[in-house]
Amino acid sequence: MELERRRVLRMGGAIAAGAGLTGLTACSGTGDTGQGAGAAGEKGKGRITVWSWQGPAAQMKALVPEFNKKYPEIEVTVEDIGNPAIWDKITTGLAAGGQGLADVLHIGVDYLPGYVEKFPGGLADLAPLGADTYRDSFAQGMWQTVSPDGRRVNALPWEANSAGFYYRADLFEKAGVDAGALQTWEETIEAGKEIKQKTGAHLLGIDKPASQADAANFFQMLLQLQGSFYFNLAGDITLDSPEAVKAMTLIKTMNDAGLVSDLAGGWNTLMSSLKQGTAAVLPMPTWFGGVIEEQVPQEAGKWKVRLPPAVRRGGSVAATVNSTHLAVAGSSKHQAAAWSFIEFVLTRPSSQVQIYRGKGIAPALMKAYDDAVFHEPSAFFGGQKKGEVFLEALKAPSPAFNYTADYARALKLVTDAQSKVLLGGADPAKVLKEAADQLGRQSGRKVAR
Amino acid sequence: MTTTLTGRAADRAAPSRGTARRPGPRRRVAPYLFVLPALLLFAVFKLYPIARSFVISLHRTVGGTERFVGADNYTRLMGDPLFWTALKNTAVILAVQVPVMLALATGLAVALNSGLLRGRAVFRLGFFLPMVTGLVAYGIIFSVLLNKDYGLVNWATGLVGLDPVPWLTDPLWAKVSLGLALTWHYTGYNAVILLARLQSVPAELYDAAAVDGAGAWTSFRHVTLPGLRPALLLTTVLSTIGTLQIFDEPYVLTGGGPDNATLTIGVYLYQNAFKYFDFGYASAIAYALAVLIGILGVIQFRFLGEKT
Repeated sequence: MELERRRVLRMGGAIAAGAGLTGLTACSGTGDTGQGAGAAGEKGKGRITVWSWQGPAAQMKALVPEFNKKYPEIEVTVEDIGNPAIWDKITTGLAAGGQGLADVLHIGVDYLPGYVEKFPGGLADLAPLGADTYRDSFAQGMWQTVSPDGRRVNALPWEANSAGFYYRADLFEKAGVDAGALQTWEETIEAGKEIKQKTGAHLLGIDKPASQADAANFFQMLLQLQGSFYFNLAGDITLDSPEAVKAMTLIKTMNDAGLVSDLAGGWNTLMSSLKQGTAAVLPMPTWFGGVIEEQVPQEAGKWKVRLPPAVRRGGSVAATVNSTHLAVAGSSKHQAAAWSFIEFVLTRPSSQVQIYRGKGIAPALMKAYDDAVFHEPSAFFGGQKKGEVFLEALKAPSPAFNYTADYARALKLVTDAQSKVLLGGADPAKVLKEAADQLGRQSGRKVAR
Repeated sequence: MTTTLTGRAADRAAPSRGTARRPGPRRRVAPYLFVLPALLLFAVFKLYPIARSFVISLHRTVGGTERFVGADNYTRLMGDPLFWTALKNTAVILAVQVPVMLALATGLAVALNSGLLRGRAVFRLGFFLPMVTGLVAYGIIFSVLLNKDYGLVNWATGLVGLDPVPWLTDPLWAKVSLGLALTWHYTGYNAVILLARLQSVPAELYDAAAVDGAGAWTSFRHVTLPGLRPALLLTTVLSTIGTLQIFDEPYVLTGGGPDNATLTIGVYLYQNAFKYFDFGYASAIAYALAVLIGILGVIQFRFLGEKT
């Protein structure tokens, strides 16, 4: 009896183990995440869902009625997932082989290469749907971002954000500094000292303890103004390049001079600081202009905008610091309909003009800039033609940056290094070298020196 | 086949061999039918992920395909300074926060059990309420309260002339803040467990102790504490497991920063899986954590458990 019982248990165990094993092999196979699973569907019919966040989501929602005039049989639901929550949600969906993903996904340049590399087939190839015809329609460097091999198209560009330099003209005036004449960041630091002394305002703010991942935005901007990044185009690590050390040293100099306010807490703190006028300069990309207008409408006329000073005298003042894109999920059953929506939003100048009017979101679609709205004087920015300032940057030669699939790791190491410099006074060259070595160990990439 | 299988397997549930009546076949199947759904759910949602995660921990995703790398992820773990930082941070929280919290909870339980206290139900509710607060909600509330420049706490301490404390932005203070949030959240929960046990300590023992001339402290040491022993073991083991897995608080409060001062194993695991898409490595971290919890659990049962 006892023996029999054991035998039965063993049998049961073997059956369970067998079932488990076949289950595992079935799942662990090729890592194919739903490629081919989604049928293309019809171009003018279907029910699609779009995932985006705050402003862009609202703007897409506003475009739906017009879209439905052209495609009455496509039902569009735009969901505001929120940023950064959307990244976790897309990641989990892709990791689950596309289960539960929306049809259209709004993806930042910082996540796109990671998604493409780690989840092949997770995003649909837009080339067969007709994306190829728009190859030359976008700002330079954009096509290389969405189609690194020149054949497969992973997404279509939406925003192209250039580095900007929003400043409180009244504070600069009070300190007796001509903001327009600043050529380099070194000169800007000197100006910052004047401003601090005469008005008490800091030059700028940084999330010193890196409470949010985007704490390194300013560092990254200084890098990109020098045409450099965390990786070179071959994918080797350039985190401790002379350009990076220069950028971090500039930040340390500002901080040591007491010119950097602490924006710990991320977005909310940034908004409070903006309202309290803690800093004279907001070195932020194109889209941030709309935020300033929304947050401090009573300060109309006090603000101005220009492209940032160069890092080295005579260096570049233009850099595309980030971009966002619309992609179609590889698992979508209505890929053709999803493409119809993307095409409508991103390649029609009038859609992009409407979005720019609504939220100040700058299009990558060059044709959109023919519209008068980009050439109007802005009452808020002291009568400046804000749109033209950034258009100049988009037209300037700007190198492509290789974000790679290891961007998130690199960013984390950079923000840690920056915290060490800002909170502990560490040596920029030393912490960046450590970060580069650590990234090399983590990612298996070469460190280019 | 099926009938024999269930029939024989059901023998396990029968009373030990030789007992008088064997239940009829119909009654032997029934209990298994009742537990079957639970077993199935357990197998699908617990056993399978546990096994699958081990398989994943032996792989690395390269160019979209899973490649078998054997124990590579585990050896990488041993040489990863960030993993050790996370382990150290978690150990510090475990060594400092858990004893403080349990001491507080014991004191609280004794106070809530005291007949001298009026409106005990209100106090019990008050101390237990943090437990039902959503983790993310209270994390956000704490991060607002503890903000260096705009937080309520620094505003209040400023009124009595104290300098603002960089609660979340200084490596040391960030750890303290984390400890404060955890203590606020879990003390009441542990106090309620201890209180339940406390109420089962016979009043006669206290009377006897009083007759023998024991003061409050002596009767606490020799009656209350031994009486609480099983509950203390339970709360210690639960808190240890909870602390080792701690994720929500550092994730919401500090994001593991500044400069990894509050990076815990849970946060590091999350970063590797969902930020870096390195699921193999994240699974290896999960297994290392499971082994660690197992070892600590055994040790605690050895030292605190009833001696048989």
